[in-house]
Amino acid sequence: MSWFLRGVRRGVRTEKEPENNATWPSQLEVKGEFSGCPTRAIREGKWEPGKCVFCRRCEPNLVPTGNTVQPEVKTTNSLFRKSLHVFPVDVGSCGGCNVELKLLFSPQYDATRFGIFLVNTPRHADALLLMGVMVEGMEGPLREALDAMPEPKVVVLIGACAASGGVLGRPPEVNAHVVVPGCPPTPASIIQALRRLKGDV
Amino acid sequence: MRIVGQLGEKCLTTEGLMNSPCPQDEEGRPAKEYGSFTFSYGPLAGGPIESLALDVLTRGESVDWIDYVSSKNRKIPLAGLRVEDAILKVERINANFGAAHSIAFLIAVEKALEVEPDEKVVSSRIVELELERVRNHLLVLHRLLDAASLLVPAYTVLSAVEQVNRTIGRACGHRYFMGANFLGGTVCRFEPSMLVGWTFMKEMWKVLENRIFVDRLSGNGVIKDNSLIGPAARAAGMAFDARCDGGDLPYDGFRPVSMRDGDALSRLMVRMEEVESSIEMLSEMRTEPSSFIVPERTGEGIARVESPSGDLAYLVEVEGRMLRKVEVLPPSRANLRAFLSSSRGAIFTDIPFNWESFGIWVSELEVDLG
Ligand code: SF4
Ligand code: SF4
Repeated sequence: MSWFLRGVRRGVRTEKEPENNATWPSQLEVKGEFSGCPTRAIREGKWEPGKCVFCRRCEPNLVPTGNTVQPEVKTTNSLFRKSLHVFPVDVGSCGGCNVELKLLFSPQYDATRFGIFLVNTPRHADALLLMGVMVEGMEGPLREALDAMPEPKVVVLIGACAASGGVLGRPPEVNAHVVVPGCPPTPASIIQALRRLKGDV
Repeated sequence: MRIVGQLGEKCLTTEGLMNSPCPQDEEGRPAKEYGSFTFSYGPLAGGPIESLALDVLTRGESVDWIDYVSSKNRKIPLAGLRVEDAILKVERINANFGAAHSIAFLIAVEKALEVEPDEKVVSSRIVELELERVRNHLLVLHRLLDAASLLVPAYTVLSAVEQVNRTIGRACGHRYFMGANFLGGTVCRFEPSMLVGWTFMKEMWKVLENRIFVDRLSGNGVIKDNSLIGPAARAAGMAFDARCDGGDLPYDGFRPVSMRDGDALSRLMVRMEEVESSIEMLSEMRTEPSSFIVPERTGEGIARVESPSGDLAYLVEVEGRMLRKVEVLPPSRANLRAFLSSSRGAIFTDIPFNWESFGIWVSELEVDLG
């Protein structure tokens, strides 16, 4: 039996709206005062998702709502509406962001139906997607990748490490167009960010 | 007694810590010959899931020599931190082995503090490690199929990885166990009914009916020696496994699976058998959130667990709740040595398959805790 038919028989379905399926990370609701946050993601009663590593220490003062963490999308480009080619660069990650990114292409999420593709070279990329804290050995390769990309190009940061340094180091110094919070971000959060960047939603 | 690997300045064996470095055979790099050149792969080459840099000395197709080049070194100093703060970093050394790292670290701390963990916490740890093993081994299978451009089966396997991730998320609140384990307890709530729908193994075995796939793995990266650990050792007929040879969790009556050929195909088959045995184990276990009281003390502790890629060990020195020293022995170090030595003399196109078959994570390979 062909693999296509096997897939059909197993009943793996692509989900219409990619679902968020873990309590952490999810959008947090501030219910009370909390002062022991390891990343200072809570300041003056306000929660900054990009700094949060979703360590659960602030529960029950901050409560996970189960809703997908909202990405910050500063730009939209209709040029990318049909297809967005993404070149991922791990500048010092723990591997968690990498696997969640890979899972965007599992049948459940199937990011390709939204015209989102991974490419193996920056020359073919519209978006440079960075994950991890900035380590010395990756600084040169990151600059080379950015320089090699054709215009127009956008930079997407996924995960607390790339967004703010999280608990492990410093973030890469780049002008980011999209920031996806989470540690790691869920595939649902990443898809939402990339679709908004494309102008789909 | 077998040598597990270098833990800080000392050598960890199944009988304990030796007061000297582990003996190591260093292979010599051959000189360049007429027509040979060095081909650099990475760190940004597409394909591998992480940034990875390799240097290959070749005359075209042959791998006359291959070396690993460091590019992703992360400095994560832990000494001077409270255990509660250090665990946030420990579980981020390698998210894919987040349970193995945090559990080994916590057991080492408990030993240093001379406290016995609660039984429910111990069984939660076994459940977490087995869930993590299933997820990892399926991911290795996916990566091997992806390397062979067998995309339909590759994505079918990825759907199983996602299914396992969701189960982990439901049981422990987080898909990579972050925040699930803390000093003195766990938050995981698992029951066998969470495995309903885990029918993927029936199809996974069918990948071995594909001649093209099997040919890429069979006879590729053969290695058989006593320095192997985890699935690589078991694929070469050595039943080394911290679940039964002096590791720190009670796997009563556990027997590891093993193969004989010591090639990439055997490493994959060991993993597939292990997915089945882990699922069988999980189908008889349940856990609930639990905690126990932890005293303050000054002491040293060593712990070793079987991560999905083999022995993972921590050595810690604590004073009260403060860490004075932390050393880690991640399985990726031994697996990198094995990958390099088994790739020398091979052909270029074998490399991706051999690399993926060892389950190496650069994130833990290049971490510096000092
Ligand atoms: S989950 Fe952790 S990092 Fe996030 S706000 Fe709460 S305490 Fe801070
Ligand atoms: S954000 Fe979290 S998951 Fe992503 S690389 Fe950093 S520590 Fe790992």
